[in-house]
Amino acid sequence: MTTPLLSIKNLQVQTSHDHRALVNGVSFDILPGEALGVVGESGSGKTLTALSILGLLPRGVEIASGEINYHGTDLVSTDRETLRNIRGNKISMMYQDPMTALNPVMKLGDQLLEVLDSHKVDISDRQSHVIAALKDVGIPDPQRAMDSYPHEFSGGMRQRIIIAMALLLSPELIIADEPTTALDVTIQQQILALVSEERRKRKMSMLWITHDLGVVANLVDKVIVMYAGRIVESGTTAEIFSNPQHPYTAGLLASLPKASDRNRTRLVSIPGIPPKPWSIGNSCAFADRCQFATEKCKNELPTLKENSKTVAACFNLIGEKK
Amino acid sequence: MTLLISEVKKQYKGRLSKTPINALNGIDFTLESGKTLGIVGESGCGKSTLARMIVGLESPTSGQVSWNGEGIFDKTKNIFKKKHSRIQLVFQDPYSSLNPRQRIGDAIAEVVSVHNLRPQKEIEGRVLELLGEVGIAADMRNRYPHQLSGGQRQRVSIARALASEPQLLVLDEPVSALDVSVRAEVMNLLIDLREKLGLTYIFISHDLSMIRHISDEIAVMYLGKIVEYGTWDEVLENPLHQYTKALIAAMPDHTTFGNSREYKLLSGEVPNPANMPTGCAFHMRCSIATPSCSENIQSLRDISGRHSVACQEVR
Repeated sequence: MTTPLLSIKNLQVQTSHDHRALVNGVSFDILPGEALGVVGESGSGKTLTALSILGLLPRGVEIASGEINYHGTDLVSTDRETLRNIRGNKISMMYQDPMTALNPVMKLGDQLLEVLDSHKVDISDRQSHVIAALKDVGIPDPQRAMDSYPHEFSGGMRQRIIIAMALLLSPELIIADEPTTALDVTIQQQILALVSEERRKRKMSMLWITHDLGVVANLVDKVIVMYAGRIVESGTTAEIFSNPQHPYTAGLLASLPKASDRNRTRLVSIPGIPPKPWSIGNSCAFADRCQFATEKCKNELPTLKENSKTVAACFNLIGEKK
Repeated sequence: MTLLISEVKKQYKGRLSKTPINALNGIDFTLESGKTLGIVGESGCGKSTLARMIVGLESPTSGQVSWNGEGIFDKTKNIFKKKHSRIQLVFQDPYSSLNPRQRIGDAIAEVVSVHNLRPQKEIEGRVLELLGEVGIAADMRNRYPHQLSGGQRQRVSIARALASEPQLLVLDEPVSALDVSVRAEVMNLLIDLREKLGLTYIFISHDLSMIRHISDEIAVMYLGKIVEYGTWDEVLENPLHQYTKALIAAMPDHTTFGNSREYKLLSGEVPNPANMPTGCAFHMRCSIATPSCSENIQSLRDISGRHSVACQEVR
């Protein structure tokens, strides 16, 4: 068996002042070269899970317990200096909104060179290294781009710069937090193609966080579905999309309009709204919205169990009903 | 009743630069009552400017917009308010379009009373009726917007738009800000309301899968122009313009999967509307462009009775 590159065990994230659970017992591995998609709606804990890896949780939110193991180092308990060396260097982050991720009053060249400076990397010609990185992501005239400010670029170009910055130190793992949500569809396509190509070329691992099932369908090897702070289902992309076992995953897929549906039948909707992760006691978080829920679902917390297709936390798997 | 948009242009004067920005470059279409027109296009194509113009929030630099034979910007008749009660706009983000300090019931009651649609005594009953219509329980009437979920807030905005008893609803990205699992519910609600109240919709979105689901007719916009127009099935199943084809190819598709998808890419980006390309605005990104495409300005021409396209290369 391959040793995972990153291994998260039983991660718990909570609010600092009143200890409300936001992420509740999340565990998963990322293998070298693997692309993993984390899908969930707002409040499902997908972004907090990703931010935990690099110790970037916002103020007021903290890791309560759990382990994040990277090459034998526990990123939860390690010191700031070690974390700082890993961040950007070994594991880097791609953000959703390039306008807020870039400094608006600093020339791009300086921002990119700063990454090399702060990591004290030994690259003989930094200037040409940055120019090559910009060229790789398709920025025309990189020399001039280094002398420009972020506002001089379009959204798509800014996102390319973010990608160049994330790849600058050739990390082993890239964490992408919905980096294409703010972009137009044709530009989104360009960025997805670019990321896929770079990832394959560099044999990098990737953690792609999104609410859009359509985006990850063609991008990742494995998918994790999160709901109310917990993983409810995980599996290979093919199985999750063709044989979802958890009623929530199945519901999400069914609620998307299908291009093959010529009669435009009524969309299947999931009634109700997602609960707050901390408000769930000893029950399945999805029980109130689930059409298959039984008494057991309301009184017992289902745990993740392997079934013939995926790994799901549910007492009434879809596959067992046929 | 018909919505008639004829040769509408809109120019914004740049604040710093001298060159004006052409947001709309000659829009022409008619929409019969009871139909739904889906308008799709990327940011900056002018779809929201058009939406705001139809409800009277922007005036055209030139051209005509009329509903039911009455010009929206006809200032000679003093029926502005009455006219505007018949056309309503639903915004993308219900959190910023509802007043955070106003109870949702009061927000709806205000519309009913401004337009004098009910005697004072009957307003409250009407508010509850409207909330019921969009699936909000009567006991939520006194809540504030922040006490509702995103989907409920968008339902309230729809109820508020319906309060003036409109004939035409302009929906500007009504589900884009919502979570995936509640989008379907709001889409179903919109389809139900259309049938029940006999409404005409203009549904604006960048998401072709939603446009496909709800529209009778589809207009594809690019840089202030309609480049393709037709019935939904014609436009999506037999697209003629290269831009429409690219948009369809870019639809995220969850029915095919694996990480080996060949991306059909459109090269380049949307040009700056302050510095419009000559000829066909799409020619630099188009795979079938010929040299004359950079010279000849294209306008919509009929291919069949149900389909028109602005491209000289389509025969």
